[in-house]
Amino acid sequence: MSVLTAAFLLLTFVSCSDDDPAPGTEFSIASVSPESGTVGTEVVITGTGFPEEATGLQLTFGGVSAPIVSLTPTRITTTVPSGATSGEIRLSADGFSVPAPGSFTVLSDLVSTTYSNLPAPQTGGQGEPVGGPFTRFSFETGEITESETEWDIAFRGTTIAVNGGVATGTADEPVRNGEAGATLVSGLFDEVASAAGLSFAQDAVGAFAIPSGSGAGWYNYNPATFTINPIPGAVLVFRTHDGKVAKVEILSYYRDAPAQPNAFTDEARVYTFRYVYNPNEGETQLN
Amino acid sequence: MSLNKNSRFYFFLLWVHLYGFSQVPLPAQDSILTENLDEVVVSATRTLRQLSSLPLPVTLVSAQQIRRTGVTRLNEILNEQTGILVVPDATIGGGEGVQIQGIASDYVLVLIDGVPVVGRSSGNLDLSRLAVGNIAQVEIVKGPSSSLFGSEALGGVINIITEDPKSETISGQLAHRAASFNNQNTSLNLGQKAGPFSYGVFLDRLSTDGFDLAPGQEGQTVNPFVNYTLNGRVRWQAGEKLKLLATGRYFSQEFDISPSNSEETDFNLLLRAEHDPSERFNVQYEFYFTRYTTNENALDPLDETLLLENDFDQRLLRPEVRLSYSFTPGNTLTTGAGMNFERLERSLFSSSPRFDSQYIFAQYDFTPLRALNLILGARFDHHSEYNSQFSPKASARYDLSRALSLKASVGSGFKAPDFRQLYLDFTNASGGGYSVMGKEVEAAGIRQLLDAGQVAGLAVPLEDLGERLDAERSVGINLGLRYQKGKWTTELNFFRNDFRNLIDTRILATKTNGQGVFGYLNREEVFTQGAELDLRIAPLENLSVSAGYQLLFAYDKEKQREVERGEVFVRDPETLETVRLGRPDYFGLENRSRHSLNLKAFYELPSLDAFANLRVVYRSRFGLTDRNGNDLLDVFDDSFVKGYALVNLAFGKTFFDHYELQFGANNLLDFKGNNPLAAQDSELLVNPGIQLFARVSFEF
Repeated sequence: MSVLTAAFLLLTFVSCSDDDPAPGTEFSIASVSPESGTVGTEVVITGTGFPEEATGLQLTFGGVSAPIVSLTPTRITTTVPSGATSGEIRLSADGFSVPAPGSFTVLSDLVSTTYSNLPAPQTGGQGEPVGGPFTRFSFETGEITESETEWDIAFRGTTIAVNGGVATGTADEPVRNGEAGATLVSGLFDEVASAAGLSFAQDAVGAFAIPSGSGAGWYNYNPATFTINPIPGAVLVFRTHDGKVAKVEILSYYRDAPAQPNAFTDEARVYTFRYVYNPNEGETQLN
Repeated sequence: MSLNKNSRFYFFLLWVHLYGFSQVPLPAQDSILTENLDEVVVSATRTLRQLSSLPLPVTLVSAQQIRRTGVTRLNEILNEQTGILVVPDATIGGGEGVQIQGIASDYVLVLIDGVPVVGRSSGNLDLSRLAVGNIAQVEIVKGPSSSLFGSEALGGVINIITEDPKSETISGQLAHRAASFNNQNTSLNLGQKAGPFSYGVFLDRLSTDGFDLAPGQEGQTVNPFVNYTLNGRVRWQAGEKLKLLATGRYFSQEFDISPSNSEETDFNLLLRAEHDPSERFNVQYEFYFTRYTTNENALDPLDETLLLENDFDQRLLRPEVRLSYSFTPGNTLTTGAGMNFERLERSLFSSSPRFDSQYIFAQYDFTPLRALNLILGARFDHHSEYNSQFSPKASARYDLSRALSLKASVGSGFKAPDFRQLYLDFTNASGGGYSVMGKEVEAAGIRQLLDAGQVAGLAVPLEDLGERLDAERSVGINLGLRYQKGKWTTELNFFRNDFRNLIDTRILATKTNGQGVFGYLNREEVFTQGAELDLRIAPLENLSVSAGYQLLFAYDKEKQREVERGEVFVRDPETLETVRLGRPDYFGLENRSRHSLNLKAFYELPSLDAFANLRVVYRSRFGLTDRNGNDLLDVFDDSFVKGYALVNLAFGKTFFDHYELQFGANNLLDFKGNNPLAAQDSELLVNPGIQLFARVSFEF
């Protein structure tokens, strides 16, 4: 047999297998769910003709190999691998390889952390007009920022401003130049799983998006102990200056978050809060 | 049938033994009580009625009991009665207030000889203002009585009946009592009945160094003070059918808080003419004037500049006419009408507001069956500043047997919005610059702030401001049993009080200085319910023993609903973790104890002309305030005072017929307690501790 013949025969065999597929060697992908997710997110791929054994089966997210969690002929469960980049999901086995329809977006991880001791000084009060600069905070950097534009929320005394809308009219307010907004949700922090469907208020003339005053916004003032106490179950959900979402639970208004703050000895106007920030544009997940 | 009754009886005994107990009607040994007055009360029906036959819960404290215990002020003796607690105000440094069936002192009407005492501080009437050296008895009607007395009679009515001299010769008593904290009380009480006239004079001086519950802090909890009470009365039997009475009382108190000063005066004058056109017909014309003033100047201790001036001048003028007609014995119609003219001048008010109100009431007390007594009554109050009020009440008593009776009463009560809730216009310059505005001034006040550019945001739309405040209202139900046989008396009473339209504060606007402007509105709904049990027995001729118990549940209805809906959360202060509050975690209203108990024993030793008594008062755990920010008192709040008992003891002996020496101790076990609201590293006491006293008196 000449080499040519051998090559022809091989080609015929391969093309034969195309026409008459053997189980486990030829398959197709119908859908991927979800179509986006952070590293570690469980992804289900449905289709037909998946191999019966994971051995030799390779699944990649943008070229990075992903683990097979479970496998049936019509369904593969996997997780987004660490280091994956947005792009194609591809399934290969025995030299046969197909891409999934559409592309998969690998999302950045949600940031979940606690910020301790953010100072929020103010001048005035005690009958005098309140003033002094707000302390601006950026969810993206997770830090206090001096930037006039790249900030999301700002603190002064018990007042919280957002970088959206217009100045309310008190002295020394920062210029609003973003699209930030805020809303107050009652519930456990972990139960606020998404910002989908929430409508955000912005700072406006005469009113902050987060209402100020005891019992109206995030805190209660206790006239018996003269302390400011964050209302348990008051979850602040924000849209950031650039349209992303975050949720915040204020834990304390006093330095080092003492268990029973003393209005006379503990330093007030020092925030400790925990937050979850979703850095992905257009995403509303908060857990 | 008789078997049934017996088993019921034993059931009560068992119940009593298991659950504890109240007060003793002491044998009338005092020569002044020749009419056996301690068995008759006037407050329940505005006619003289035998205490044991009444269809509603009434507590009577006799002069004898007061004298034997050696107390000098009304608050001290009330605290020993079942279902009545004298509690510290919820806020630090506040006064004390009486609590009846779990209802705060704001809603308890206090009368002297049937006419109201005015002058409340934040709703609280300070009962230590009232000396008890010349009173015949104190009557406490529990449950709403607005059908007879109008505003403020929601939780109950406390009526102090002063003594009417009966002796033909000048008689009386001169006494001095010295107690811990340099508490010095001197009193003179004398009176005489001379032909158609009788007169009485009572003088009382009380001074003390005060005491301090916060030893680590500057200043004292109760500052040194001195006060004087002057009381006089004249009665004239002008004819067979006409009696005239005039009484006057003047009280003046001064606190020593150098360089600041605080003065208080209380004056009342009552003129009453009682005419009996026939045996069945009685008409009473009454004219009453009272005035209460305070004068407070808080000065800076360093440079003596004026920090706060708070002057208060309240006047009430009330003419009233009452008619009662007895169709037959046990069938009496009582009607009355009157007018209130009230005026207040206060430095924190923008104007001197006036209230005018007119009222009319009627009550029919009758016995349709031999064993059944019914009292039906209603009152209509028309007021210049808020909606008119109609307050009905019905009470019934059915005697199942000679010893056992059933009692039931349903009544409504109301409390008019007070001057403060209507006219206060106050900006606290030294306390942060917040403002509080009464209902009648809030619309103008907010507009003024808007014009001055001081409003950052409105929390309530402008058009909603100034809507009329409604009176606070309650409906109270009391269902009880009374068993009296021989030396045993047992009373069991179940109560439920539903309050609505309670006036609460809300934020009206935020100012540009970041502080709030607060106003008032009708919002809250609360209830109190529970049971009271009294047992009195005289096991020996000279020994009377009593026990009283109150079980109490008191909640805010809206907060209860919020908790049920899972909308209230609590944060662990240590871990900062937030959890949802469970239903059992809501403790209820502040300053309410689930259980309160009193045990009393009074012993007389006629052979030695001596007496002794021991009284124990217990209240279980209670919370002072929300501390974890969820605006209700829950079991996680670190603001609970542990349950405690106060043991009070007194001994006395008469020498040479005229001299009596008495000594004793209040809070014998030296309970001091621990207030959890104390600042870090310092302590705040609940009670100043043991108070020893000695009293010497000369009777003439």
